[in-house]
Amino acid sequence: MNVGDQIPVWEVPITPTLIVSTAIATRDFQDVHHDRDLAQSHGSKDIFMNILTSTGLVERYVTDWAGPETDVRGIAIRLGAPAYPYDTLSFSGAVTSVEDGVAVISVTGAVSLGDHVVGTVKVGLPDRAGSLA
Amino acid sequence: MTAASPELGATHDLIMAEAERIKALGEAAEREARDPVNQPTINNWLEAMGNTNPRFHAGEAPPSMAQVWTMYGLGGKPPEDDPLHGMMKVLTDAGYTAVLGTNCEQDYHRYLQVGEQVRVTTALDSVVGPKTTGMGTGYFVTSRNTWYVGSEVVATMLFRVLKFIPKASA
Repeated sequence: MNVGDQIPVWEVPITPTLIVSTAIATRDFQDVHHDRDLAQSHGSKDIFMNILTSTGLVERYVTDWAGPETDVRGIAIRLGAPAYPYDTLSFSGAVTSVEDGVAVISVTGAVSLGDHVVGTVKVGLPDRAGSLA
Repeated sequence: MTAASPELGATHDLIMAEAERIKALGEAAEREARDPVNQPTINNWLEAMGNTNPRFHAGEAPPSMAQVWTMYGLGGKPPEDDPLHGMMKVLTDAGYTAVLGTNCEQDYHRYLQVGEQVRVTTALDSVVGPKTTGMGTGYFVTSRNTWYVGSEVVATMLFRVLKFIPKASA
């Protein structure tokens, strides 16, 4: 892993099933993540992705690319435009620093309304012997 | 932004006084996870996320599931002494009724193992405002969660929300 490495773009179709199944799998039962009528009564266009899922998808985006042995040390995200059904969540990313066995990867997840999530992922890199640095 | 009237200034002083009181509580509202870290819950999460990492079928839990273990669950409510809940109530009562998550920063000290029992504490980190934003005028409320296994810190999270008066009703 080197500074400047680009992670291939990953496009996630946002379906109602994705939003509901991930909300429940993250044990987040807030109605805005599974009940469109209630979400709309709160002024939202539709149900929308919960924060634990945005974080979980950022983890997957980075480890699908970096490899399962990569140790994720931290995920810091800033939240922007909501991720609504029938939109596409498009992840892009790049390695911004590699130091003392820890790489920092910047990640953006964009939807049609703008950036849904912008953040950084810190990963520990395996050393040459294959054990974790 | 400065307060537009003596009345708003008094409200701001009250909000900040409450913030100081709640911050002084430190790590509070300690709670145990409903269940130990377990494979069925991990499997549901992996399926929903489409995550096929084989590590998570060999005894480890995904790091970004840290918060999942201590979610309140269906119909669950934060305890009355929860610092974040307490600060939200102060702001709701002052008219800042809407809420929007703005930042979530998680640090994982290590991966959790199936079978481990996790507990969490909540502390109020800071309250900043009033700020004028695209959504309306509000306060940024930052809390910090710390997850433990026994006496070991396994993960932390800084979570920031904007608690605001929606523009349309301002």
